[in-house]
Amino acid sequence: MASDLPYAADAEVSLAYDELEVLRIQYQKELAQSYVTVQTKFNYAWGLVKSPIRDHQVEGVRLLQELYRAEPTRRRECLYYLALGHYKMGNFEEAKKFNALLLEKEPTNMQAMSLSQLIDKGVTREGYIGMALVGGAAALGTLFVAGLIRRANRK
Amino acid sequence: MAPAPKPPAPVNCKLLLIGNSSVGKSSLLLRFSDEQWLPEDESSATIGVDFRVHKLEVNGKKVKLSIWDTAGQERFRTITSSYYRGAQGIILVYDVSNRESFDALPRWYSELETYVSDKVVKILVGNKVDKEFSRQVSTAEGQAFATRMNSLFVEASAKTAVNVKEAFTDCVERIMEQPELWDSTSGTGAASNSTGQMPGGGNVNLTADNEQEGGGCSC
Repeated sequence: MASDLPYAADAEVSLAYDELEVLRIQYQKELAQSYVTVQTKFNYAWGLVKSPIRDHQVEGVRLLQELYRAEPTRRRECLYYLALGHYKMGNFEEAKKFNALLLEKEPTNMQAMSLSQLIDKGVTREGYIGMALVGGAAALGTLFVAGLIRRANRK
Repeated sequence: MAPAPKPPAPVNCKLLLIGNSSVGKSSLLLRFSDEQWLPEDESSATIGVDFRVHKLEVNGKKVKLSIWDTAGQERFRTITSSYYRGAQGIILVYDVSNRESFDALPRWYSELETYVSDKVVKILVGNKVDKEFSRQVSTAEGQAFATRMNSLFVEASAKTAVNVKEAFTDCVERIMEQPELWDSTSGTGAASNSTGQMPGGGNVNLTADNEQEGGGCSC
């Protein structure tokens, strides 16, 4: 009686507008007072990474990268959300890199394993789209060449 | 043409696991959904939130459970609160061999008060009864607290699989008895109509004497 595979919930579920607003206001308030706590910064970055808007994801990843460098105690969380953020932006190589770092430290981490499956699926999907594009271009090219030949033969 | 008997769509049900760090929330979920167990040195603290879907049948009705497993760590407290939205059942977990995790329960309950309606079904789970020799919270104490907090109660062990399934199914059964929980959830409003007549559909179902009736699971 196996259930569905574990699933990175944070990948799909985003915050409501006012929920993200709460995190943003807190962050900006502390920024104005020129002292931002790690928690506030992390919370805001987390909310941004979960957002479906690309600009948010980019900003979230940027903040997480700063946290990763400055806060060794938060590295595991940062790695996970860095991987997630890059995955959502379609940067599968980066996503893989950060997720692999987490898996290196915690080889049995179920969340990282499930995210790794999502990333692989994303890579495959992108591969198919790439092949379709190449295939489509090839088909168009063939038609074009065929047209040229026909035109040349008519003369 | 006779109408084909279409199987009814499963009812969606959202459960949330909360409690202190390392009381075994993820282990309970892993045991329930995959019948697996990870030893302490292989399991890792949940990051933010984890999520599993599990289908089961309760009283002949198909239920699609989505179970949200939240990080117990303090640093995720503020951000995981957004996951309370739309939950119909809350599974509060403590570790019977860790007094601190039991003493922290009032804080978890006050968080619940803030984020969910009081109609949401609550079950208190005392986990790790396999560690009987180092028990720090008695069954009676756990039961008394659960009754006071209007919650179901069960003692379980994710390691030995004792009462794990029961904890989840007891919670779901109680949710199924609460039609108002279905009305308030967006998207499941129609489901409450298809479930037919529910006896005692008022909001008096979660009274104390009802709890005592359902609380006889410490065997």
